[in-house]
Amino acid sequence: MTEGTGTAEQGSVADLSTRTPTRSGDLSTWQAMRRSWQAYALLAPVFILLLIFNYYPPILGLLRAFYRWRPGVEASFVGLQHFGVYFTSPETPRELFNMFKLLAFFFFSGAVIPFIMAVLIFRIRDTESKELYRLFLIIPMLVPLIVVILLWKQIYDPNLGVINGLLEQFGLGFLARNWLGDTATALYAIMFMGFPWVSGVGTLIYLGGLGQISESIFDACEVDGCTGLRRTLRIDLPLVLGQVRLMTILAVIAGVTSFQTILVLTDGGPGFATMVPGLTMFHKAFRTQQFGYAASIGMVLFVITFTATLAVNRTVHPAVEDVRH
Amino acid sequence: MSTTTSTQVAPSTRRPLRYYQIGSHLFITVMLLLSLIPTYLLITWSFKNGLQYRWERWAISFPLRWSNYGAAWEIVGDYMINTIIVAFIGLMGMLLLSLIGGYVFARMDFPFRETLYYAIIALLMVPWVLSFIPAYMVYVRLGLLNTRLSLIIPELAGGPIFGIFLMRAFIAGIPEELFESARCDGAGVLDLIGRITLPLSLPGLATLAVLNFIGVWNSFLWPLVMIQDDAKQMIAVGLYKLARSATYGGVAGWTSQDFGVWGPLYAGYVIASLPLVLLFIVLGKFYVEGLVDSGIKV
Repeated sequence: MTEGTGTAEQGSVADLSTRTPTRSGDLSTWQAMRRSWQAYALLAPVFILLLIFNYYPPILGLLRAFYRWRPGVEASFVGLQHFGVYFTSPETPRELFNMFKLLAFFFFSGAVIPFIMAVLIFRIRDTESKELYRLFLIIPMLVPLIVVILLWKQIYDPNLGVINGLLEQFGLGFLARNWLGDTATALYAIMFMGFPWVSGVGTLIYLGGLGQISESIFDACEVDGCTGLRRTLRIDLPLVLGQVRLMTILAVIAGVTSFQTILVLTDGGPGFATMVPGLTMFHKAFRTQQFGYAASIGMVLFVITFTATLAVNRTVHPAVEDVRH
Repeated sequence: MSTTTSTQVAPSTRRPLRYYQIGSHLFITVMLLLSLIPTYLLITWSFKNGLQYRWERWAISFPLRWSNYGAAWEIVGDYMINTIIVAFIGLMGMLLLSLIGGYVFARMDFPFRETLYYAIIALLMVPWVLSFIPAYMVYVRLGLLNTRLSLIIPELAGGPIFGIFLMRAFIAGIPEELFESARCDGAGVLDLIGRITLPLSLPGLATLAVLNFIGVWNSFLWPLVMIQDDAKQMIAVGLYKLARSATYGGVAGWTSQDFGVWGPLYAGYVIASLPLVLLFIVLGKFYVEGLVDSGIKV
């Protein structure tokens, strides 16, 4: 970083370290480190906290996935047993399938829909309505997530819910059902929560990305007669691919790891209809005290998210804006 | 393409363009109205008595039943105070550590600076599912189960990971001349941090504070497993438990006859949303910028 060399040239009181070239051997590195004791001292509290509470737990989790483990009992090594049990369990294919369905849907609701919304808002000419739309995008975000989930639970309620109420009002009472309690609809009801999925961080992030594209590109594009859908696909989309990548990764992470909504709405039920691996991990740990088994599921989820994130990062490359060509 | 042709094209394209604009306005408005429905229902329900809730589901019922809010506060207030205490203590520590860390990495030069920096940033890549179970065990081992400290520590230890990332970028943008002249006046590191960096990085700290406060306010799974004592419980878990008792057992002090629990319950939800609304009104700029930037930069 340029700031670092800047301070060194000025021979500051605080940063004498770079006066000694660090390349010339171990001894001078040691000397430089001793001279920079202040920097290390200032960072010490952060690193002590991180070591105990942020480095140690994930490493411990990776190790304990191979152990039988519960509070107050000596952990015993069981090798790959947990993984064997998990992948041969009759519920596992179903919950993995549920997870991939949710993941695919989260890509649609979290990455695709907000993009369409952002492009539409971005092209609105009238700046006052543009600001108003931005404001209205934010309002639903001011409601805490748990309240949103509990509200939707009420909306789906078989007796008091507004969805069944509306259906009956329009003479469609035969369609009314226990949305979250019916094996056929429960998972789709979970997906439908948050309809129409436009408000929230996604649209704002895309709007931020579109705002960074320089005006001259749009001008050039208009002169060439590139408008509407063609412009969206040829100009807007390639230039916000960075944001698309981010939203895709967030959708993957949400699909694989977030089970809070399911825990509150159905707790995996009815039966195992809405079970996902994350929720199984939670149940195994906190209901049956199988912490080692839970840690092994955590490790499987980590491998899935890590692989998927890497794959998305490798395949999606944002276009570089170059006005001169 | 010459300029003359493009000006000739312009009048003919203008009309479809206007239709396009009107269509967009319509579509956006419909989508936004649809996404506001739950919020609308939440607010109208919070002012209803049981019968109004049963029979006037969509309309606003008059007179507004403000007493729901008093009844709700009796229960929700304690959870909110708990959460604010935890958030405040955690935030202060987190901001201090992020400020110091950001300064050290942006303004000081020392061996292994980049190595140490990336050692911190790498933690952003560790998904929480991997650490959730083992972290619980570590906290149990340290005797932190059912303590407020178990809620403060994740903020204090985990917050500076993103905090240092953000503050380093922010502090790197402060002109070097300011630090230089202070050093000439004999200022030490702590002076440089406290007297120069702190006042100039308030916008960055505000963004961090807002993002972390939202995080604490929404935290659910961690307090659910860590806190058994209802008197220490956080707001999100508190609302979850309240909703369960309203549905299945009734709530002390609320009338459970004729759907009477629902009005106060929704009033409780509204009260629990107010701090975020307040935060948005006061620090709206940092709220939006923080959300957007954190998305762009990570």
